Amino acid sequence: MVFLKQIPQFLVWMLLLLLLLRGFPGRRRAVSFWSTGGFALGVAGYLLLARLLPVRVPLGIIRSVMGGSFLLLWGVAVASLYRSTVRDFPLLRLDRFTPLCAMVGSGAAGLMAGGICANQLPAPDGSLLRFLPFLLLPLAGALLAVIARSVEGVVIPSYAATPSSLLAAVVALLLLSSSAAITLDLFSPLSMKVMKGTHDFVHQFMESILIPDHLFIRPEIWGYIGFLFGKEVGFWGGMIIWFTPVLLIALAIWLEPLPSVAQFRQGARRRLLLAAAIREKKHRMVIPALALVAFAAAAYRSSFPSVEYWDPKPLAVTATPAGEILIPRKGEVELEDGRMHKYLYKQGDKEVRFFILMNPSGKLTVDLDACAICKPDGYGQTEGMLLCYYCKTLIPLDTVGRPGGCNPVPVPFRELEDGVHLDASSLVNSWNQTVQSTTRSKEGGK
Amino acid sequence: MNRMLRTLWALLSSRALPPLVLGLFLLLYIGIAFFTDETLITLMAIVRRNPLLVALLALLPLNGGCRMVVEISRYLNRRRSIFGYSSPPSGELYHESVELSAPPSFAPLEERLRGEGYNTVKNGQQLAAWRGVTLLPARLLYLAGIFCLLAGILVSLTSRGVNRQEVVEGAPFPAPGGNGGLVRSISFQHGSGWILAKELELEVADPDGAGALHRFGVYPPARFRGAFVYPRYLGVALICRISAPDLPAGYEKSVVLPLYPPGREASTVLSGTPYKLTLTLTVPEDGSDPYTTGKMLFGFKLLKGKELVLTGTLPGGGAFRKDGYVVAIPDYRRMVMTDFVSDNGVLLIWWSAFLFTAALLLWLALHIFLPRREMLFLSRGGTIRAFSRAEGAAMNHAGVFHEALDLLETST
Amino acid sequence: MASIIIEAAGLTKSYGEICALKPLDLSVPEGEWLSVMGHSGSGKSTLLNLVGGLDRPTAGTLKVGGEDLLGRDEDGLARFRREFVGIIFQQHHLVPYLTALENVMLAQYFHSLPDEAEARTALERVGLGRRLKNRPGELSGGEQQRVCIARAIINSPRLLLGDEPTGNLDGSSTTMVLELLRELRSQERFTVVMVTHNQEVADWGDRTIHMDDGLLVREERKVF
Repeated sequence: MVFLKQIPQFLVWMLLLLLLLRGFPGRRRAVSFWSTGGFALGVAGYLLLARLLPVRVPLGIIRSVMGGSFLLLWGVAVASLYRSTVRDFPLLRLDRFTPLCAMVGSGAAGLMAGGICANQLPAPDGSLLRFLPFLLLPLAGALLAVIARSVEGVVIPSYAATPSSLLAAVVALLLLSSSAAITLDLFSPLSMKVMKGTHDFVHQFMESILIPDHLFIRPEIWGYIGFLFGKEVGFWGGMIIWFTPVLLIALAIWLEPLPSVAQFRQGARRRLLLAAAIREKKHRMVIPALALVAFAAAAYRSSFPSVEYWDPKPLAVTATPAGEILIPRKGEVELEDGRMHKYLYKQGDKEVRFFILMNPSGKLTVDLDACAICKPDGYGQTEGMLLCYYCKTLIPLDTVGRPGGCNPVPVPFRELEDGVHLDASSLVNSWNQTVQSTTRSKEGGK
Repeated sequence: MNRMLRTLWALLSSRALPPLVLGLFLLLYIGIAFFTDETLITLMAIVRRNPLLVALLALLPLNGGCRMVVEISRYLNRRRSIFGYSSPPSGELYHESVELSAPPSFAPLEERLRGEGYNTVKNGQQLAAWRGVTLLPARLLYLAGIFCLLAGILVSLTSRGVNRQEVVEGAPFPAPGGNGGLVRSISFQHGSGWILAKELELEVADPDGAGALHRFGVYPPARFRGAFVYPRYLGVALICRISAPDLPAGYEKSVVLPLYPPGREASTVLSGTPYKLTLTLTVPEDGSDPYTTGKMLFGFKLLKGKELVLTGTLPGGGAFRKDGYVVAIPDYRRMVMTDFVSDNGVLLIWWSAFLFTAALLLWLALHIFLPRREMLFLSRGGTIRAFSRAEGAAMNHAGVFHEALDLLETST
Repeated sequence: MASIIIEAAGLTKSYGEICALKPLDLSVPEGEWLSVMGHSGSGKSTLLNLVGGLDRPTAGTLKVGGEDLLGRDEDGLARFRREFVGIIFQQHHLVPYLTALENVMLAQYFHSLPDEAEARTALERVGLGRRLKNRPGELSGGEQQRVCIARAIINSPRLLLGDEPTGNLDGSSTTMVLELLRELRSQERFTVVMVTHNQEVADWGDRTIHMDDGLLVREERKVF
């Protein structure tokens, strides 16, 4: 069962191997050796770190390396485009480093793939039953490497991989693999950063060139500017950043100058050579196209994760005439079961959503179902985390109850024998301030 | 020394420099983004404080300037080679070059190229042909835009000063350095433009001229003594007078409140008393804008501690009396909260927008309709060296170039 | 001594029970103009189709340009036709709604890439420099056939096949077309295999073979 869940990861690993073998056709043995070794080391490294340190450490390492690879891809994409379009752009010739690239690239890709696959296994707890899959995983990886090497010539016949398109495809496949786990996913955090970055940038830009405030601007025009402050800009901006490197690489291939054929004195021969060069270009577009599909799949999995959220329907609560809300410790819900419990308090036409949660350190915390940054779309709970529905930020349960960032806004409360006591007016005030400020900043601009 | 200068020039004018420097700043931005959501503001603050980063940023406009020199020089070299004023050109000035054995007879070729719409010039042992207009002007406009934009950002980042002041009708204009003249009027009207819904005009008497007036609008903001007058939001400057049963002597205070748009609340604490006055501008029944008409009706709430003791409306210049309380607004004037921004970078950034637009339009027009295509044939001792270059319609041009070479060879 | 461009041994083609070409041995040196004569149904067009890779023989061997055509798959044969052979038919088979220039460029497109300047040169070489923008319907029969020649030679074939290319032309047009072919052959050095039933046309060749009922019955070599 554990291994059935790994089938998509294994498929990605297989594709990765096929690509690496295609990318370094003269170094198949080195690619097989280093990628398989890297895979085994990735599994072992993950297991070791997860046993010795909090699991967020290996996760953090994988996310950082994936983020770094994505940045590297951006750099390579820009350099490729310059190389194709700018005739006097100085660039290092990397051909002589091919053996090193094959070794390091295959090893690193294997290492990451191994770590990501290991993360999908149930967390090790010292028992042999939980340890066994970690032992079998490198063997499965090696078996797939053997299969990949034997079918490589059949599966990918003649499509050459340029170094940049190979990097794009490898990074795309690793991102696709990591998008299976919400804790390793990069697309949603990227969208969130883009949303916040755009807000920050637009504000600064308008200030910098002295553009007047919305007070003076036509509402319909301001509506367009307002788009830049919404969630959609995060998603679409994230999509642009996500897909641009591979599109730049494809564009770089397409814009590569055709070979000079002026030395041939027969038109048909010149045309044949040019047609062959164009055909070869088209073939070289296949791997970027594959990378594009992998990027799209990763973005899709990130946007529609298969993770199940705990998101209970808010229970309606009322306040006493003295303005106090009491949530009993036990009763309709068990406050101390480690799960988020949502409540709805109505005062006139105003509604306040909040939740109570016992965090892993055993402390109860009461928070608004909204943060100080995003629109109040609320939170869902998944393994060890809360997820902001608006910006898809993951908040470790340990930090719930602390103010700031995308954390839920904490609400003051008293914990007595009978349960949790809240002041209704401060709850409403807190909600009003949060919702007003987030609505203004997201919809209205500056 | 010369070698060092050459290396420095190669570095400063390199096309690799902008992506490298921008990449570095991008990495810095990403690094900062891990720690704060106000990434750009933080990055700007860091750069402003760090001379090394400022110097690094300064490389970008410098590179833009150097590229302009390099590209003009290349264009002139190519031009000289076309008209035979220079030694044979180096291959890097052209996109394609080839050598073939052929007699130095260019007459049929010249006729052929003219037939294809090329201008030709024969000069001794060489024939040059060209058509279309070079993209160089568009490229120079683009590079000038890059220079202006990045220089503007640099200047703005390192020297911007903002001084926020209240500009009140009838009060002295709070210009930097003082003595800004009297604010004669503030008018706020419906706009007729595509972008601006409202037009704001501050009319200020020139402190030095007899009867001369300065007028400041919304956009583009005008300058006064080197500083941009940048209106931010509107409000009302007023005198409020209150008396209450426990405050029989009354209390008078001048305040400036951000009351615009109508409905927006603003409060003032009457210091030394337990009272707080909250005011709003009410929307007139006819729907007119009180800031535009100048006829203002204020809604008010008088709080004593947390207790609401009086609420009602009163017209500007009028008073409200009830239960021993009197709330009066004997005087009120329009107010514009204004930033006086000393920043020469803004002008450069504006210029860059014009230059980029012009560059794009010119580039599109030339690239589509009149792309520059050039050929050069040099005859030396029984061989001909041929060079070709196309800034657009490259495939067609290559066809003509290849046919020209075929013609040269068949004429042997 | 010129190399052999067409070498056929025991070349046979049957359509069901009908044997269109009976075992034939033929050898054509590179650069030769070979005329193939015979009545209708004598097998001359069948021979042309086999040599041009338009059809596959039933038996025998056929090497063109040193390569065994029988060993080629469909893609290989298509590439052979595209890169090695130019064909002129009695009917011009020009696309009626394309100009003369576009018709020639169409042949370039199917071969590799269109190149307008080269296509224009080709039409100038066949004397149609002023009729580039005319559609086939606006050209005379001789002019149409000259467009066909430009189309056939645009891809620099080593072998030019003609299937009664002058069959629809009057006397003066026929002479003009044949003179043009001769001139182009001397410049481009391609080999010509031309099927005709007209002795005068056949006489333009270096050698004539006569076919009857699928058999090569006679061979005449021009004496210079």
